Formats: sequence, C-alpha cells, structure tokens
Amino acid sequence: MNRQQDCILTIDLGTGAVRIFAFDLDGISIGSMKGAYPTFHREPDHSEQDPEQIFITVLYVLKNLLNELIHPAGYQVTAICFSAAMHSVLPVDKKGNPLGNAITWSDNRGKEESAGLKGTPLGKVIYDATGTPIHPMSPLIKITWMKHHDKDRFDRTARFLSLKSYIIQQLTGETIIDYSLASATGLFNIHSFKWEQSALDYAGIVADQLPDLVPVFHLTPCLRTEFQSSLGLQSHTKIIAGASDGCLATLGAGVWGEGKATITIEQSGAVRIVGKEVLIDEKQRLFNYVLTENYYVSGGPTNNGGVIFEWFTREFGSFRKAFELEDSMEGLIQEASKIPAGSDGLLFLPYLLGERAPIWNANARGVYFGLNMQHRQQHFIRATIEGILYEIYSIGKTLEEHRAIHTLSINGSFTAYPFWAQLISDIFNKPVHVKNNSDSIGLGAFLLTATEMGRYSSLGEAARKIDVPGMYSPDRNNHEVYMRYFRIFERLSSKLSDDFEEIAEWQSQ
Amino acid sequence: MNAYSLQKGLSKDLDLFPHILAVGLRKVQNIRLTSFPVRRSDALSIYYIWEGRYDWTIDGYPYILYPSDLALILPGQSFGSSRGALDIGAFSWITLDVKEMDTDFGPWCGLSPTESRSIRKILLLNNAPIAANWKDAGKLFQQLAQELHLREIGFQARVHQLTDALLILTARQFIHQSHSQRDFPGSFMKLEQELRRNLAHTWSVEDMAALVGLGTTAFTEKVKSFTGFSPLNYLINIRISEAIKLLKQTDDNLTAISMNTGFYSSQHFSTTFRKLTGYTPSQFRKDNTEKP
Repeated sequence: MNRQQDCILTIDLGTGAVRIFAFDLDGISIGSMKGAYPTFHREPDHSEQDPEQIFITVLYVLKNLLNELIHPAGYQVTAICFSAAMHSVLPVDKKGNPLGNAITWSDNRGKEESAGLKGTPLGKVIYDATGTPIHPMSPLIKITWMKHHDKDRFDRTARFLSLKSYIIQQLTGETIIDYSLASATGLFNIHSFKWEQSALDYAGIVADQLPDLVPVFHLTPCLRTEFQSSLGLQSHTKIIAGASDGCLATLGAGVWGEGKATITIEQSGAVRIVGKEVLIDEKQRLFNYVLTENYYVSGGPTNNGGVIFEWFTREFGSFRKAFELEDSMEGLIQEASKIPAGSDGLLFLPYLLGERAPIWNANARGVYFGLNMQHRQQHFIRATIEGILYEIYSIGKTLEEHRAIHTLSINGSFTAYPFWAQLISDIFNKPVHVKNNSDSIGLGAFLLTATEMGRYSSLGEAARKIDVPGMYSPDRNNHEVYMRYFRIFERLSSKLSDDFEEIAEWQSQ
Repeated sequence: MNAYSLQKGLSKDLDLFPHILAVGLRKVQNIRLTSFPVRRSDALSIYYIWEGRYDWTIDGYPYILYPSDLALILPGQSFGSSRGALDIGAFSWITLDVKEMDTDFGPWCGLSPTESRSIRKILLLNNAPIAANWKDAGKLFQQLAQELHLREIGFQARVHQLTDALLILTARQFIHQSHSQRDFPGSFMKLEQELRRNLAHTWSVEDMAALVGLGTTAFTEKVKSFTGFSPLNYLINIRISEAIKLLKQTDDNLTAISMNTGFYSSQHFSTTFRKLTGYTPSQFRKDNTEKP
C-alpha cells in the first residue's frame, strides 16, 4: 500500500440530506456520499426534522464513506469541516437532549409574530443590527413563537441550538455555533459579533440560552473516543466549526471581490454577493450574513426556484415511466426551446409558495398573464421557466441598486440545464459561469479548512483557486425582449398585492 | 345485462367456488325503506356501480358512489346505505369468504404468499375504499357473470382467475389513485409515515415497494438514488433514531425498546446500535441521561 495520504472531509447538513465530500489537500475530489432525512409537516405551516435521525444519518454516511472510500485507499483524515442549512432551531434540555423536533428554515408558523415586528421601529433596529430580514424563517421569530404558543417547551428549554450545533455537540461534546450560522438567526449582531441584546429581549431569552459563539475557523476538541474507534479516526483529526451553506457556496463558487455575484437555484434559490461591508437596504429586502469578520455575504432568497418547475412537470409533463421526473423535465425544456424568447407575451409570476426577496409577501400567488388564442401548451412551459428567472433577476436588480455586478457564477441542479444558463445570461445581460452547487458548498468548506491549515494565506486567495468553467454570453436582442416583459412582471408583482392578500385569505379557509 | 344473484348454499352454481359467498347484479327500480341498513360485514365485498347514485357508509365514513365507481368493504368494517335504503340504479357485487386480512386469502387464490401479503397490505392501508371512475372493473364483473352463466369449457379456472384479477387490479388501482407516480419524494414520504406508524412490523422490501406501487428492483433503485440508502438500511435509520429517543426519554428496558422499534431481539438491537454509533445502548443511555 502507498504511504498514507492526507485528506479533508466536509459534512454539509442540507435541507433534505447530509452530503459528505472527501478532498485531498490540493482540493481534488476523492468522492462523496449522501444520506437523506425527512421533513415532517404535521400541521400546515410547520416544517420539522428529527435531530436523532439526522445524527444517525450523519454517522451512517460518514462510516460508509470512510469504510468504502477513505480507509481502503489509505487516506488519513486530517480535518473535518461542517456546513449547514441556515435558520434551524432545536430546543434542548439541561442535559442537552432535544425537546421534540427541530424547526427548519421553511417553517412558517411565526407568520403573525413576524408581521407584528416587521415595519416597527424595533424591527428596524433588529434588522440593522442582525442583518437577517424579519421573517418566519428567522430563529428570532421561531423562538418568539414558542414563547407565545408553546410556553411549556419554551420554559423547559435550557438552550436553543441549531441542528449543526446539535450534531457537533453529539460528536464532540462542545455546544457551539459559528459566527456565520449565528448571523442567520436574527439574534446575532453582525457589527459587534455578539448576541444582540434587543433581539434577545424581544425573544425573551438570555445569551446563555444560545450556543457559545465561535469563529468559523474554530477547532473543537477531538471526536468522542467512542466515535474515534468506531469510525477509525485519529484523536488529532481537526474538527472545524465551519459556516452556513449559503456563505460556503459563495466561497466555493469563487465569487470573491468586486463585480461578481452568484445565483443558486435548487428547490429554492438565492442571489448573493460578497463584500467587506454590510449592505444597508432601507427597505429591508436583503440579508447580510457573515463569513468572517472581514467578509459579508449579502443577497436575497426566493422560495420559488426549481420547486416550481418540478410542480409544473408533475402536473403537466408526460411521464413515460413511473416517477421519471428528470426525464420528463428534459422533455419539457426541449419543447420550451422551440418557443421564442418572451413566450410571445405570456408572463408567469411564480409565487406559488408566497415569496421572500424582493417583495417579501407570504400571500403572493402564481399568475399566468397575457394569454391569447395563439398561445399553445409549449408557451406555458417556457413562460414558467422565464417567470422563475424573472424573479431571480428581480433580486439581482435589487442588489445592483447597491453594488455593480459584471459577471455571474451560477450553481444548483437547475442551472445545469444549458437552456436555463443561457436564459439567465440573456435576462441579466451578463456573462455566466456554471458550477455545481453541492460541490460548491463542499468546495467552500474545503477552502475554509485549507486556509485554516495555512495552505492559503486568506479566503480571498483560496477563492481565486477556483476555476470558473462553462461560459455563456448574453444575446442582446433577447435581453431587450425580456426587459420589455420584465417591466410588466415587476409592476404586476407589486400591483396585485391587495388581490394576493384577498385570495390567500380565501385559500386558507 | 340481466340482473342475477347467486348465494352460497342457495345456488348450486356456487358449489364449485366455496370462496364466493355471493355474487350478482342488482337493478333497483323502487326504493324500499330499511332494505339496506348499515351493519358489520364479516367478509370481503366489492361493489361496482352501473347506474344511479349511492350514498353509502363504509367503516364509519360516508361516500357517494357514481356509475363506474368501485367500493371495497373489508371484513370487520361496517357497511350499508347512509339512509338505510337502496336508491334506484344498478350495481354488481361479489362477496368473498375472507374473514381477516392478516392471513392468506386461502387455497383458491393464485397469489404467492409474498404477493398476497403485499396486496392485502395495500387493500388494508388504503384510506379511501373507493376506486373512482374505473370502467375496467365493470368489464371484470361482466366477464365473471358470463362465465358463471355460460359455464363453457374451462369456466372454473376462469372464475378463479377473475376473482384474483379483481383483487389484484383493485390494489393496483388504489395505488395509482393515491400515488400519481409522478412525485417520488411525495410517495416516499407517505411510505415513511407508514413505516413509522408501524415500526414494530417486520417490513420486507416487497411490502415497502408495494406501498409505492413499484416492483422491488425499480423501488430499490429509486430509494437508493433519492436517499443514498437501500430501503432496509433506510429503515434501520428510522429504527435506531426512534430507539435513541426511547433510550433518552423513557426507562423502558432494552427488550421493550428493541421490540417497539422492530428489532428481532435485544441482541440484534445492541449489535446494530453498536455498529452504527460505537456505543452499546446501555452505555449510550448512561452517557446521555447522567450528564449535569
């Protein structure tokens, strides 16, 4: 066997699955594995996950990856770094045991709490201090909801953790949250890097009830000895706190520095930029998350990304074989490509799940607009995709009010379709580079780890190592067509707000 | 089509088919009060509507049936007309000698033991016992009536085939109805809930695949690409995570926990738990409940 080679593992606790990547010290991928866990919707607006199942799944996947890929090839794990989906809340008791399930980012139970705080002077103080928009996704709002509606659990809670904090606690015994993930809780002051008192007061908790704050480079003590032996890892394996998935995807996409933005389209989507300063949006439409003291990741999220195209495909696609969604989506995209840009004036507002940035309207709903007798089935397909991307563009446009954007790096499973990539390029009128998202998160975590190990002098230098493949260039003529319709899209999105409210009211009855 | 009615004991025609308690086609031309009260059924019946509209209660829930709809009544369920009387119209029905759904249908049934278990599971777990607008069922009833009347060569085998087909195709129809076969994540979540609701059950891959309406090979492939695990390994994840909660939150002994979470024995539980977590269950319980 060869001399032992060092490798780095990154563990991403995503919305629906854990993904573990293995890299050698040069960032070359050795392999990856995933394990899915369910989200429970026991009541409308509720989205929960079982922390124990997530923990078991992490262990299971980790063990499989080590036994099948890492140990047999003679690799030695030097470091393990964590990333996770933002905004989860897990109440635990004095012994650190979960009090029920974790509440995940898509949970909407705090609608009223959120509406009550948003638009108030205190809401503005908290948004300015924490960088997290006032929204049911925010742990600030979730904890406040518990205080009002689940008092017994609230009172028994010794600490409010994030899912990542829980997994790290199980593996190492340390209860921590990194600045990056903390900056998405609505409770963390992104200027002073401490818990924000006004937010704590509003939620009715004290700082001791939250995990200990640590920088993203923080090294936790080693794995518990039981895991060292069951996994076959050394006691000196570094365990690095890591950051949020969004921040690391941005780093891993190589989007660092002026003029660059990244677009992610998975089920949901986001547009992000990186800067040294907090971006101040008077209308509170954008988030400011922290990667390190020197880097803020700012941008806006959408609820209605690929999930909308999947919905469309399930309802209207042709399925030759049971459950072959991919197949069916590709078929639809091919059909859509036969229709001219702008879908001959058929417009789609994709707000089936309500919307976050930039309109922040939970009552928004989907709309097809401009139908005439010439429109055929294929027009609906193309209009649906264009609508999803107009929404993404409206976030990008909001960001451009603050910073210039010259190039885009796009990632996520839906951007892998050349048709989508070209459309993004045309709508934005900017060159586009394509990168795979789950790889981007893993790669971001790798770069963070390698920087901690001194292989790069800074994250900025690390990000420059990312090569940006696959270029798409915009078509000016198409861009002009899209802009014509986008103006209507934008007007409709705000003009319809009264009607959205009324119809959402009826739909909820 | 003519109305007819055969009943075990009364009609010699059924002597060759001891599993058929009753079969027929009924045309209702005037309403007779209290002719069809809700009562407990002690066999398995399938009704198929040709004409009219029927307000029936099945297992305590009201359903409205229209032409081409099929209703399944399982042994032990209550069944009858919500208003006590049969409305004007026409329907076919068959009642099979099935006393419970937990054991095999009987020697008359051509299904293998595994297939029989899957089919019974689907019929049992289906939450609405109606297959709406399913004309193929009507064809089966027509063929059945024909075989029973004409008694041509081979009719005995044909009647057996047709009763089997009725059960199999009803199960399939229920699956197609509840899973659109377009949304694997959605179907998988339904299965997940079913596994959790009945974790102590010895689930086989066939059982699980049947609930999603796929063959085992296609099912295993789908689950693997969606979850990263084989179906049985995914099930182990659920079993162990439920066991962890019981270890932390209750004083139940290991035998009780292993049984409740579907392990064969506490030995099997301990080995699996240790392999996955590095801890024995008792060590794990101690570490997690005695900390300050």
